[in-house]
Amino acid sequence: MTTLVEAPQSAEPPSTRTRSRQRSAAWKRRAPLLPALLFTIAVTQVPFLVTVFYSFQSWNMVRPGSQHFVGFDNYVDVFTDSVFLQALGNTVTLTVVCVFVAMLLGLGLALLLDRTFPGRGIVRTLLITPFLILPAAGALLWKTTMFDPTYGLLNWAFGVEVEWLSNYPLAAVMTQIVWQWTPFMMLLILAGLQAQSREVLEAAQVDGAGRWRTFVSITLPQLSRYLQLAVLLGAIYIVNSFDAIYLMTQGGPGTASTNLPYYIYQRAFEGFDVGQSSAMGVVVVAMTLIVATFALRLMFRAFDVSRGVK
Amino acid sequence: MAQVAYAGASRIYPGAHSVRAVDGLDLCAGDGEFLVLVGPSGSGKSTALRMAAGLEDVDEGTIAIGDRDVTQLPPKDRDIAMVFQSYALYPHMSVRENMAFSLKLRGMSKADVRVKVEEAADLLDLTQYLDRKPKALSGGQRQRVAMGRAIVREPSVFLMDEPLSNLDAKLRVETRANIAALQRRLATTTIYVTHDQVEAMTMGDRVAVLRDGVLQQCASPQELYGTPRNVFVAGFIGSPAMNLLTLPVDGGGVKLGELKVQLPVRAEQGEVTVGIRPESLSPVGAGEDGFDLQVQLVEELGADAYVHGTLAGHADKVVVRTDGRTPPKLGEAIRVAPCDTGEVHVFDPESGLRIGAE
Amino acid sequence: MTARTNRLGRGALTGLTWLVALLFVFPVIWMVVTSFKHEVDAATDPPTFAFTPTLEQFTTILDRGFLPYLANSAFVTGLSTLLVLLLGVPAAYALSLAPVKQTSNALGFFLSTKMLPIVAAIIPLYVISQNLGMLDNVWALIVLYAGMNLPLAVWMMRSFFLEVPTEMIEAARVDGAKLPTVLYRVVLPVVAPGIAATALICVIFAWTEFFYAVNLTAAQAGTVPVFLVGFITSEGLFWAQLSAAALLASLPVMIIGWVAQNHLVRGLSMGAVK
Repeated sequence: MTTLVEAPQSAEPPSTRTRSRQRSAAWKRRAPLLPALLFTIAVTQVPFLVTVFYSFQSWNMVRPGSQHFVGFDNYVDVFTDSVFLQALGNTVTLTVVCVFVAMLLGLGLALLLDRTFPGRGIVRTLLITPFLILPAAGALLWKTTMFDPTYGLLNWAFGVEVEWLSNYPLAAVMTQIVWQWTPFMMLLILAGLQAQSREVLEAAQVDGAGRWRTFVSITLPQLSRYLQLAVLLGAIYIVNSFDAIYLMTQGGPGTASTNLPYYIYQRAFEGFDVGQSSAMGVVVVAMTLIVATFALRLMFRAFDVSRGVK
Repeated sequence: MAQVAYAGASRIYPGAHSVRAVDGLDLCAGDGEFLVLVGPSGSGKSTALRMAAGLEDVDEGTIAIGDRDVTQLPPKDRDIAMVFQSYALYPHMSVRENMAFSLKLRGMSKADVRVKVEEAADLLDLTQYLDRKPKALSGGQRQRVAMGRAIVREPSVFLMDEPLSNLDAKLRVETRANIAALQRRLATTTIYVTHDQVEAMTMGDRVAVLRDGVLQQCASPQELYGTPRNVFVAGFIGSPAMNLLTLPVDGGGVKLGELKVQLPVRAEQGEVTVGIRPESLSPVGAGEDGFDLQVQLVEELGADAYVHGTLAGHADKVVVRTDGRTPPKLGEAIRVAPCDTGEVHVFDPESGLRIGAE
Repeated sequence: MTARTNRLGRGALTGLTWLVALLFVFPVIWMVVTSFKHEVDAATDPPTFAFTPTLEQFTTILDRGFLPYLANSAFVTGLSTLLVLLLGVPAAYALSLAPVKQTSNALGFFLSTKMLPIVAAIIPLYVISQNLGMLDNVWALIVLYAGMNLPLAVWMMRSFFLEVPTEMIEAARVDGAKLPTVLYRVVLPVVAPGIAATALICVIFAWTEFFYAVNLTAAQAGTVPVFLVGFITSEGLFWAQLSAAALLASLPVMIIGWVAQNHLVRGLSMGAVK
């Protein structure tokens, strides 16, 4: 760069001039990305690779020296383990139902909020509060003050005597999770509603569309990327739900409300079976990856990643 | 003060189909000259300007400012100032800070910066807004801040990229005159990009017309209008556009309807493209020499009216300027003739180039 | 529709909105109410609405050693968020304003790590922490929380960086600014609100994180959620005490979230809203 200034008429062909400049520029551009990339690899990928290694071992943490290679034995055990299959089913049910219900409720609340009325700011503040409550605190509060069979508010309000956590453990856990995540969905959808162009809505009105028609044909399509984002982020967090189950039902009664994170936790930290819980972890990752590839594609389309990439 | 010289300068966007956004540009803006680059969108006019600024690479050829080759220099070492289409004001800085930014970067003392900024603000009528943020200014005021940011630096070249396109029509005309006057006063070499040919004609000492990255013609506004070098320039300069008709040559002339028009130049047998500006045509009485036009649309502008019509037996539209007080009615047939044969332009229909002595 | 019925309809809708909001937030309201009760009024059938308020529960919580947990939470949340910003801001820049060629691959990688279930890594993390003597250590949590929040933060900040007009950066270059000056004096002030929004989201997720905290820490480095776990083992119904603890544990994030609602919305929608 220093000598080039002095030699403007250099006979160097332009193509090589451009290429060498591009090569050094490419590394200069990558430099700011590398620390984050290396850090993420170290904190997430390396432990996962170790998990894969453990999954081929038989190793019980309380019996030192028990560690040895067993090939695919752990995987065979995982797929013949009926509790694992039940936990898998519970995880799917919990994720799908919670995301869907929270989104519907969030949409409803967002629509209620998307107009001007007295106290709108206060109502919004109230509605986001469950998202700001510590999930652990929320779970404990629901377990006691809401669901308790003797003193809980639910039985008092409905005048019934139901043992919610024993009879409907999964539903009870899901109620708490939905309550926690609805504000998140609501905020995202509200952002989408408010980003709508007023002119387009007015155009629909002028074209003779009624409220319902406008909502279905104009608002929903415009909201779709916000809904996708809400589903994706919600699913990422809800699929990993652990606090609610750990604190409300301990996966019980029996294994009725056990999901995969909780089951793997149990195998690892209560059963001390490193090999098997690792194998489960690997299976979960493999399944998540399949779902995630699909979801990522959705995300990339919704957020137009090519934007800003020349 | 300096001239800006492009010598065979090209910008090639790489890719499967590499695009020559600017192709072998040879152009020179003289010292103190106001040079306008004009062309339709995608013609490469902005790219050419950004090459001079150092914001686009020059893949072939060179660019010199004054007697320095700046082809490889970063923008900050080129002694230029640029006004952007969006103004690109720094939203977190006040007007004063916006204008002072480049001076501070050059390490000028605080007192000097203050003097310079206040001088520029005075010149642009911005003194009372110096401590406002861009957000609190109107469109016209923002535009002036962008100008101010350029002039405080006293650069050797101004580069302006469609600086008026975000203003409303009235303000645009006003600002147009202000910028032109300011440039004359500062006598700083200026390259100005616009897609608006009226802006180009009214502001530029010379106007360069670009199309698909290739320079078509660079000349004074009068010359561009009077002797366009090819069909593209002929059609692009002037509003409404010149009427262009491709007709067979018949004994040194062409037939417009029943009117035989003698060509001002010697043409071979075959066809030529004839260009006549709407203002070179006028209605004549029913008995006089001329051709009949079926009126399809009348645009009344007050002083003038433009009549759009079709020539009998011809698909092409012809536009004629008439007196605005007595415009013809829709559906009428009017008789039209060129005012003066000297204002008939002749082009080669194959190459599009002007035929005739220069 | 006449103006009068229209107004009535609007009033009814407002009433409904208020009602729904109050019902929805009722568990929180009840938590606040219960935290001021004596233990005898907390768990009753039917529930007690009239009672003599007391601060007894809060003093009990503080006596039970709540403050060290609170300090741990603040320390871990603050430092992990700082670490996320230190690593994330340059990365977001490299994926937006000066995009590397492999931008979509890098973005995909960041997001895919977010989709890895945390359980898949907890066992090695436990073993590694144990071997390094980092069990029950705040620094282990700081690193893990940074790793947890970094992918989302990079995504969010990238979208804020993309909003910076290219012409403004070019203007600064023409004005004579070198790259560090452009970044520090022009880009950073413009994206600052976006970075704040991102930091806010990181703070919320770090403060509320449960899984790592419960498995990797105990009395020494335990964060606020770990303190709450103490309440599931005590089978007795100390509801008032529990409510007071829950309130104290949630209060910092609640206040931040309330005050910065608009930032929260911007952050969550990844800058898609202006």
